[in-house]
Amino acid sequence: METLKQTRNRYCSAAMTAAIVIGLGLIIVDMRPMGKGLILGTLFSVFNFILMAQALPLRMAHTKGKTLFYSLFSIFFRFSLMAVPLIIALKVENFALIGVLIGLVAIQIMILADHVLSLFISTRTGQV
Amino acid sequence: MAIEIESWVKVAAFVGAGLSMGLGAIGAAIGEGFAAAKANAAISRNPGISGDIFKLMLVGQAVAETAAIFSLVIGIILLFSNYSTASIISMAALLGAGLCMGFGAIGSGVGSGYPAGEACKGVARQPEMRGRLTTNMLIGSAVSQTPAIFSMVVAFMLMFLNFSGAPLHPTSAALLGAGLATGLASIGSGLGSGLAAGASCEGSARQPLNVGNITVIMLVGQAVSQTPSIFGLLISFVLMFKTYPSSELLGASMALLSAGLCTGFGGIGPGVGNGMTAQSAVTWVARNVRQESVLMRSMLVGQAVSQSTAIYAMVISLALIFLI
Repeated sequence: METLKQTRNRYCSAAMTAAIVIGLGLIIVDMRPMGKGLILGTLFSVFNFILMAQALPLRMAHTKGKTLFYSLFSIFFRFSLMAVPLIIALKVENFALIGVLIGLVAIQIMILADHVLSLFISTRTGQV
Repeated sequence: MAIEIESWVKVAAFVGAGLSMGLGAIGAAIGEGFAAAKANAAISRNPGISGDIFKLMLVGQAVAETAAIFSLVIGIILLFSNYSTASIISMAALLGAGLCMGFGAIGSGVGSGYPAGEACKGVARQPEMRGRLTTNMLIGSAVSQTPAIFSMVVAFMLMFLNFSGAPLHPTSAALLGAGLATGLASIGSGLGSGLAAGASCEGSARQPLNVGNITVIMLVGQAVSQTPSIFGLLISFVLMFKTYPSSELLGASMALLSAGLCTGFGGIGPGVGNGMTAQSAVTWVARNVRQESVLMRSMLVGQAVSQSTAIYAMVISLALIFLI
């Protein structure tokens, strides 16, 4: 059975690999800002997901007050972190804003794609 | 002391950013909280699979957070962009963008929490269904996020389209109305879609053999629940792209602002109502699959009636835009 850590690693590595492949493809076809923005956004999306997964068990092992503090700090920190690539994209012309935006939801896209693909395969093989 | 128009545009952008993130945080927080609450109940019921429940909660919360990420994106763009054209129209557009994204994220955030929570509960009941429950949860949550995506699209258009050639009055009011139409209408659709998705996770865990039928009725129910937000999107597009003659009359501006408010508020109830109808239909298909066709028909008839109030609101909005 897959653990929380394995789930985290699976989605993070899949999202990062996809972003690097697509990003490099975009750079090769002369869409450099888009490709670089996508990779940057995905990197921060991966950071966010890792922190989210790390913070879950951490929050469980403390008193109520500390748990509340960790939870609020985690949310504040993660959202501040995700603001960084957006500010970079707005200030530096080498990164396309739309690429960063797609990258920021790369983990969510990967989770959905993984399950829709599994559903499609199991439907084709008659397992559903 | 006279304040220059550039400063007012900045003020509008800052207020818009605050509204976008502040309102947008409401939905995601409630949705994630709901998922965590249900996960607690699930762990208490079946502590042996707490690892699986944690995993599902993490994935569910990550998806429920998407609407808040959209709000963050719009908020940051509003805060850090340089605005080349400074006018009252820009002020209205930026404020409208913030309102649109802020309101638009509420329903999707709450709605995405329902399937996440019910999936956690479902895994505790039927651990061997975890794969299919996760898929249903994700599909349901993704559909619930659609109204937030509509809101983000409208917010982007308001921020980046050039309205500088349009007359100050009544275009400013029209742009503010455009933001409110999609933003408010998305609340009901996001919430309603989430109710249907939650019921599908609960039903799949209760009757695993009926999962195919449950998914079909969930998707149909969710599609109808999305209609009020599509009406909102339509009114926003009309308000943004219609050419208006210059008018100093307050009535003309108020008519356009009211058009946005009318479809926006008018879409909240039907979105939630349609979702409740779909939720009930999904629940009962899970329990009595032989009555699926009757339940589907009764759901669609019920949703059509519930939808009529959103249509009335849209008709009044169109009258306000084209006749006044």
